[in-house]
Amino acid sequence: MTEPFVTGSRSPAKNPIAAHPITSAIIFVLVAGAICCSLIVPIYASTTPKVGDFPFFYFFLLAYMPVAAAALFVAMLLQRRLERGDERNEVE
Amino acid sequence: MSNVNATVFTIVVVLFLLVTLIGFAASRWRRADNMLQLTEWGLGGRGFGTFISWFLLGGDTYTAYTFIAVPALVYASGSIGFYAVSYTIMAFPIAFMILPRLWSVARVHNYITQADFIRGRYGSRGLSLAMAFTGILALMPYIALQLVGIQAVLTVMGVGTSSTNTYLKDLPLFVAFVVLAIYTYVSGLRAPAAISFVKDTLIYVFVLLAVFYIPTRLGGWSHIFGLAEAHFTSIDPATKKPFGTFIPTAKSIGSTQFDFATLALGSALALFVYPHTITGALASKRRSVVKRNMSLLPAYSILLGLIALFGYMALADPVTAANVKKADNTQLAVPYLFQHMFPSWFTGIAFAGIIIGAMVPAAIMAIGAANLFTRNIFKEYFKPDASPKLETRVSQWVSLVVKFGALLFAVELPHTFSINLQLLGGVWILQIFPMLVGGLYTRWFHRWALLAGWFAGMIYGTIAAYNVSDPTASHWASSTDIVFGHSIYIGISAFIINAVIAIVLTLILKAFKVPEGADETLPHQYTADPPDTPAQAPAGVGAAAD
Repeated sequence: MTEPFVTGSRSPAKNPIAAHPITSAIIFVLVAGAICCSLIVPIYASTTPKVGDFPFFYFFLLAYMPVAAAALFVAMLLQRRLERGDERNEVE
Repeated sequence: MSNVNATVFTIVVVLFLLVTLIGFAASRWRRADNMLQLTEWGLGGRGFGTFISWFLLGGDTYTAYTFIAVPALVYASGSIGFYAVSYTIMAFPIAFMILPRLWSVARVHNYITQADFIRGRYGSRGLSLAMAFTGILALMPYIALQLVGIQAVLTVMGVGTSSTNTYLKDLPLFVAFVVLAIYTYVSGLRAPAAISFVKDTLIYVFVLLAVFYIPTRLGGWSHIFGLAEAHFTSIDPATKKPFGTFIPTAKSIGSTQFDFATLALGSALALFVYPHTITGALASKRRSVVKRNMSLLPAYSILLGLIALFGYMALADPVTAANVKKADNTQLAVPYLFQHMFPSWFTGIAFAGIIIGAMVPAAIMAIGAANLFTRNIFKEYFKPDASPKLETRVSQWVSLVVKFGALLFAVELPHTFSINLQLLGGVWILQIFPMLVGGLYTRWFHRWALLAGWFAGMIYGTIAAYNVSDPTASHWASSTDIVFGHSIYIGISAFIINAVIAIVLTLILKAFKVPEGADETLPHQYTADPPDTPAQAPAGVGAAAD
């Protein structure tokens, strides 16, 4: 196991949100955005514009899925960077 | 069994036997020194990496019933069926916020079920029982619906004896299920994990091929969408209303945008508090595995979007539409579509995929329900000193009982009843969301307030769902109710009542300084990432630090 791990004996962590406000805000926007663009149905509830043969409503639902997945992937990478950063600070 | 296509039948039987072999062999996979522990049988030793977890969670979330019912809903009602696509988009960002925290705290304290966590977090046996009870209650009809999915395929295959005796008629279903029950008993969570590879390979292949091939036979997408739009905007002579909607409407009642959004949001919130999905997530090896999967699992959602389109394809194919009308069962739309569109060998593969697709989630659901019963009812109330060995044995037996209960459900009760119960299951399971997610993020909620909120949500949700009527059914007509002049998913309205009661009562109980339960978890344990589970759960640490 080369990965460092957090044990129960570690002192309670500093609040990571306070330590990295901008990265945390980006993570929040990515995750909340992924939810909201699907939740706010009026954005995409129309037949036009047609994309290829697909009415917009159906095109949007299918095309948005990879976009949401990518947003989550970026959020995950950012979170990992935050966690790694915290551990490095502690070692120092 | 006169009109059974031999090729289809042979392929289905061969693939079924293959899966059975894998199911039994799985008991030797990643074998631990001591298998008689519930974390081994019930969580596969908590050792699954990203790859296996992806298949396991995917196989878990997208059930056979999804493959049958989502296109059936699209076929029958149009755009509202696509709520399933919207909901799977939202489910993963939501799970991204919930599951890693639950995984960490469960790993530190060796919690096996979500009710274990509730017990530890709130120090409340009552709340933990409410959680376990709701989980089991919601899972039973869900398992039964997997059987309904299998039955739909068997019906179209023409399998089943002509006997009037229900049990003889459903003999193939019985055989399939007994086999499933036995290998789940033997191999635990390892069986569905191993089988999900086969299942998903089959399903990916047939869905991708079908989605490119079928439209070429039906005159292209433009034609398919055109027919669907024309059909759903025309008036049904029986009800004097349109057959359905092609795009969710901006009106306030009916198949509206608001209804679409609440249905999708409610289902998304519910998806990752269901015990079977949590069982799948807790079986992951590391915290990063859970997180990574939240961005990888949407690949399945794309598949679901394509599957939903099969509903419109079935509508555009006159032969399938005629068959469905004759059988008066929209659930048969996809099986009939495949049977008509493909050569029999390919139909065989697709049908086998759906049948196996029912077995993976059914097994995980039975394991999830069994773990809840063992840990939070049997051990908590009947035998507090149960050894890990006894726990495992009890869980194994309960998984059998749960499966046979579901089998009786599917065979004895009318299918509409199972479907109604499944709708209710979604409403019910949403009511544990405040206690679970509230507990993961804050210590603010009072345990009794959460219990009262849960109770109110359960009662309101059940009554509201019972009272929904339409021209063809006097009760349980749908999961949508009209509140303040707007169509809304009952799960969401019940959830709002639940949350409001929990908040108000917490304020009151805190004002009167009613004692809160002891919290054995610590704030940093929610982000911990220990590579190994402690053999013994650490002793309760007492007061919370947050």
